Amino acid sequence: MVNDRGQLYTMEGVAAGVIMLLTAYIVISTTSVYTAGDTHIPDMQLEQLGSDVLAMMDTPDNREEEENRLARFIDEHEGTEFKTMFLGYCNAKTSGATDNLHMSANVTYRDGNLIKEHQFIAPDYTWTERESAVRVTRWVQLDLKAGRSPYGARPQAVLLEVLLWRA
Amino acid sequence: MARINEDGQWIVLMGLLTALALFFLALIINQSALVGQTTAEGVLEFPKNDIRDLRSEIFDYVDRLGTLNFDSDAVREDITRISLERKNAVVGFTVGDPQDVSGRMLRPITIHYNNGVTEYDETVYY
Repeated sequence: MVNDRGQLYTMEGVAAGVIMLLTAYIVISTTSVYTAGDTHIPDMQLEQLGSDVLAMMDTPDNREEEENRLARFIDEHEGTEFKTMFLGYCNAKTSGATDNLHMSANVTYRDGNLIKEHQFIAPDYTWTERESAVRVTRWVQLDLKAGRSPYGARPQAVLLEVLLWRA
Repeated sequence: MARINEDGQWIVLMGLLTALALFFLALIINQSALVGQTTAEGVLEFPKNDIRDLRSEIFDYVDRLGTLNFDSDAVREDITRISLERKNAVVGFTVGDPQDVSGRMLRPITIHYNNGVTEYDETVYY
């Protein structure tokens, strides 16, 4: 009893099915919007995190304590201690695995008419020069200190620059 | 041309409207993919942290005025020249003599910051 009547109804049914599937797909996919991977959103978050950590370290613990820790680290060349504390604050989380953050730091200072840079913390083994690193900076005021090298003894403002990246 | 008549015009019209609506929806979804990018770039570009850090540094500078061996001109030169060299920003600030503001002696401070994209000027009593 097979014949070729009703072919148009069959095709209409197929077309209607496709249209319904397409509609369902469009409706479901509008609930989430995918953005491209390279949108700098992690960079933005990393920059804010580093900036906040530097601001925190630049603040004395209490009113009586005059010096802040950033100035002391730079004064005493305590790069390793600075790195430990900085990355520790960056990873101050209540739970979960620690973030895989790495850093290097420079101190920029003025020597007469020259602007010079002193490497405070060298980048570690993960540095390949291809990281999408962010730079965070903080001004630090150094007090008078005789024999300070290489910044010089005078009270001065230096710029601490930290490169921060995920490896 | 048998069997052509004017039935079903409403269905055809609705089909056209649905197609147009789908077209505009697709346009909106297409645009929304760019939103995350432009937002993040806008935030990264805007030197909010630089300006806030500069402000707090200038307040530190004012705190130290008059302390032993503090050469205010030299420190001012540090700030302006390092800003220009490392942050591509023209920075200038002036600190006036203390004046009476609602019973407290405060110094008027003007801060100028311009990195070519963002310009910031402020007068603050500290």
